[in-house]
Amino acid sequence: MKDQDINRFSGIRMRRSVVRLAAVAGGLAVVLWTIWPWLPLAKNRQSRTMVIYGFAIVEKTLTKSIFPAFQKKWKERTGEDLEIISSFGGSGTMTNQLIMGVPAEVAILSTELDMQRLYRSGVLKTESWKRLPYGGVMNRTPFIILVRPGNPKGIRDFDDLAKRGVRIVHPDPLVSGAANWAIMAEYGAALRKPGAKEAQGKAMLLGIWRNVVSQAGSGRAARTQFENGFGDALITYEQDIIATTEHHVSTQEAVYPRSTILSEHTVTPIDKHIKPHQRELIQAFLDFLWTDEAQLLFVQDGFRSVKERLNGANPRIGVITDPFLIDDFGGWGEAKRNIIDRIWKDEVLKELKS
Amino acid sequence: MKSNGMAGQKVTSFLPAGFLLVVMLPLMILPLAAVFIYALQEGPKTFMAALATRDALFALRFSVIIAFATAAVNVVLGTYAAYVLSKTRFPGREQLGIILNLPVAIPNVVVGTSLLLLWGPIGILGKFLEPLGIQPMFTAFGVLLAHIFVTFPYMVGAVKPVLDDLPVTYEEAAYTIGASRRQTFYHVVFPALRGGIITGALLTFAHSLGEFGATVMVSGNLRLQTQTAPLYIFSQFEGGNIAAANSVAAILAVISFFLFSLILYWNRKRESKKAR
Repeated sequence: MKDQDINRFSGIRMRRSVVRLAAVAGGLAVVLWTIWPWLPLAKNRQSRTMVIYGFAIVEKTLTKSIFPAFQKKWKERTGEDLEIISSFGGSGTMTNQLIMGVPAEVAILSTELDMQRLYRSGVLKTESWKRLPYGGVMNRTPFIILVRPGNPKGIRDFDDLAKRGVRIVHPDPLVSGAANWAIMAEYGAALRKPGAKEAQGKAMLLGIWRNVVSQAGSGRAARTQFENGFGDALITYEQDIIATTEHHVSTQEAVYPRSTILSEHTVTPIDKHIKPHQRELIQAFLDFLWTDEAQLLFVQDGFRSVKERLNGANPRIGVITDPFLIDDFGGWGEAKRNIIDRIWKDEVLKELKS
Repeated sequence: MKSNGMAGQKVTSFLPAGFLLVVMLPLMILPLAAVFIYALQEGPKTFMAALATRDALFALRFSVIIAFATAAVNVVLGTYAAYVLSKTRFPGREQLGIILNLPVAIPNVVVGTSLLLLWGPIGILGKFLEPLGIQPMFTAFGVLLAHIFVTFPYMVGAVKPVLDDLPVTYEEAAYTIGASRRQTFYHVVFPALRGGIITGALLTFAHSLGEFGATVMVSGNLRLQTQTAPLYIFSQFEGGNIAAANSVAAILAVISFFLFSLILYWNRKRESKKAR
């Protein structure tokens, strides 16, 4: 009897120590797995890094096409493995973080407006994007309308967005570059009509913004909301639609307005974060962005190249009868003051609230 | 200790549990299930592939390391704070206790912003560090600082009640037989605290693993450098990669489940020890 008791007791003990051993081994395995890449025996140490801050829409093309192509180029040229550290989000959000001092060496933002904010806040010592090719404009894409399949609300142009009962998903102009472009597209489309004046533009904004049911933090986030079934219409980058509709043919349909704005996405080096030994690398990256190779990679993903002859390479790029640019409104400085801040924010939003 | 009669005995009953389940189903269980459904929607292969990307692996590893480091720092700092608050008397003690618990109530985003405005390149102190080439923000260290801040109350909260309950007589007895303050701590106070410290460390670890608001501000969200798992999930979701986001989310959910099971296990062990 007593022997049995002792046996059972030691059995429990044994099981306990096995469990304990397993727990310790499991814990050690997790620790080892966690620190694996930082162990000196793992020989994947990168010799060079570069930090890039970008706005949401360019994320896929940059990380999947442009970065790998440039890494290959750089390796051929110098033999160095280049690691690119990046972060993406709404253009305004990224700009705010850059102003807070994020150590990015290159910024790619949705609008020149955000570049001007970087300049005014002292992050950029000079208007450094202007010294790049095409005034720092890396690529373009028009703002078009995305609707549900079969276009149940009968939306053919921006005017139709002002109709009763259309629910619009719109990015938030406070933090999103896409939202600022969209407002310019809406206002501009009304102004391009023969004989139209500011009043017609304002009426268009009033009509559309009365129907806005959701404001997302970036053009990309607005798109995600729309994809998940929210709203009847979304005003967004044509590129984003081209690049992603393959997976979503059944949930949405693109509508090309007669006239709309071509957004221009701007690049700048952030000189005060670029250490002397990094200069050559950053310059090589900037130069690469405007090579035919890189521009074609953009076109493949649905962006329009600044070199218009390359745009034929993607048959899915649609036709805009009457495209216009921000320069038609005297550039972003003027457009922001006069249209976004005065007409949209001070007049349209206030009228909608009252 | 034997159960003290009918009053303390628990009756097996399925009705209340069933009711709880019905209430909790839409509140918590279904949303959690949705994470797994979406993660596995395109098959286990896609799930594994989503986890095997360099960004996802880095984010998970980085999160685990930060959580370990946060727990390690807070085990020392938090236990010390609990000891001071519980065993010493000084003016402003209660106010200090309240301040140490504030991070629970303050939105984590505010914690992140205030750290940035203090240590960031344009911050109150950061301004002076910047020319010296010292920049804690947008680095792993900055993330650690934020996590120590927001998880601090959990450690204190786990240890202080145990200390409060610890009869002073034990310590006094130790002093009377000539033990020093340090000896008393190591041989009398610390063994009693072990369960509380482990619970606190696990809670800290779990909270650090899931921290978002403060991290997004102080990390700069740099992938392969300071992007934690929750930030990765958010970025992927924003980018429309629902499956990738949910794969990592599912892993985090599983880890948390294990952590809280461990906490439960330790607590039960402690209870049964106390009962003996």
